[in-house]
Amino acid sequence: MEPSDGTIVRRVLDGDVEQYRFLVERYREQFGRYALAVVRDRDAAQDAMQEAFIRAFDALATCRNPDRFGAWFFRILANQCRNVVGRRHEAVDLEAVDPAGGERADAAVDRAELAATLETALAQLTPEQREAFVMKHVEGRSYEEMAELLGVGTDALKMRVYRARDMLRELLGGMP
Amino acid sequence: MTDRRAFGADAHRYLDGEPFGELSVEERAAADRLANLARAFADRLEPVDAALDEAVMAAVRRRGAVPVGHGAWHWVVSSHRVPVRPVWVAALAAAAVLVLWLAPRRPELSRSGAQRVAAAAAPDTVFVRFELVAPEARSVAVAGSFNGWRTDALPMVRGAAGIWSITVPLPIGEHRYEFVVDQTRWVADPTAHSQVDDGFGGRNSVIVVGPKGLVRS
Repeated sequence: MEPSDGTIVRRVLDGDVEQYRFLVERYREQFGRYALAVVRDRDAAQDAMQEAFIRAFDALATCRNPDRFGAWFFRILANQCRNVVGRRHEAVDLEAVDPAGGERADAAVDRAELAATLETALAQLTPEQREAFVMKHVEGRSYEEMAELLGVGTDALKMRVYRARDMLRELLGGMP
Repeated sequence: MTDRRAFGADAHRYLDGEPFGELSVEERAAADRLANLARAFADRLEPVDAALDEAVMAAVRRRGAVPVGHGAWHWVVSSHRVPVRPVWVAALAAAAVLVLWLAPRRPELSRSGAQRVAAAAAPDTVFVRFELVAPEARSVAVAGSFNGWRTDALPMVRGAAGIWSITVPLPIGEHRYEFVVDQTRWVADPTAHSQVDDGFGGRNSVIVVGPKGLVRS
């Protein structure tokens, strides 16, 4: 049985820094897809994750509830991802969204192209909307899980997801 | 031609997997289409490379142990790839040094925002050093609830390697802030543990200054 987050954090704080690897493995696997989906660039996403893990290590003494390290770490990671996306947002090509993507999908465009269509459209959402949509529809999390990780109420998160869907429907105008 | 229709409440409930009412064929198809796009997108996401673990552990080993307190000095002195990174440094020892450093220069700084804040420093304040690595910025300031959100009150000074900094005394308590780059661009603290909506579509970072110099950002 793997040790709990709290046990690992306490061992690391006691000086056994090698134990930190367990947390890195655990949450790289759990949150990696989130970072990739939000940042949309593999290298930048990995950089954001690496920075977040180091940031978390440096601040580990301030983690008030070591048993909830995952939620605490996620907020650091989310901030890193927002920063990366925010810096790049100005450079997004607004013409890149293909409003006819949905129609062409009906004409047998492969899934890679479908995914690329959504990926481009996601870039047009606000960071909060993109984050909420990814957690809900790409990671398949419940609103309760999202609230736990983001520290935001479920009603507010539902509103973000709703607005993200509406915006995506508009951007991907070819949807029936 | 873009589709400006929003999903109805039942379509949202349908997408949430909740009980839903009347749903037109068109609305349901649009919802299914969006869900299908999300699944296709999710399928393309490959796991993050496990090599990340070793890169993190190498950095951790260089540190040797979890820094006592916030450990912000590591962010100042270590090499890193993120071009914009604000850093907090606060400690009683640093405060003592800064008080000594500031004292003889006060006449020269009498018109600066930082000095005005410093003049108001009271026993229940803690010196906090704000830093932002922004090599390409022409100006950087910090604005927050502690200075009335004035963008010109606390201009930061550019140092080596494009590190902008300022040290100000903050009262014990919770404060909200952002950096203002080139007088127009508001930048939240990406390393803050807490951020809140600013009411204008952006995010405010939150810093909590505790007794005995403990600072959480």
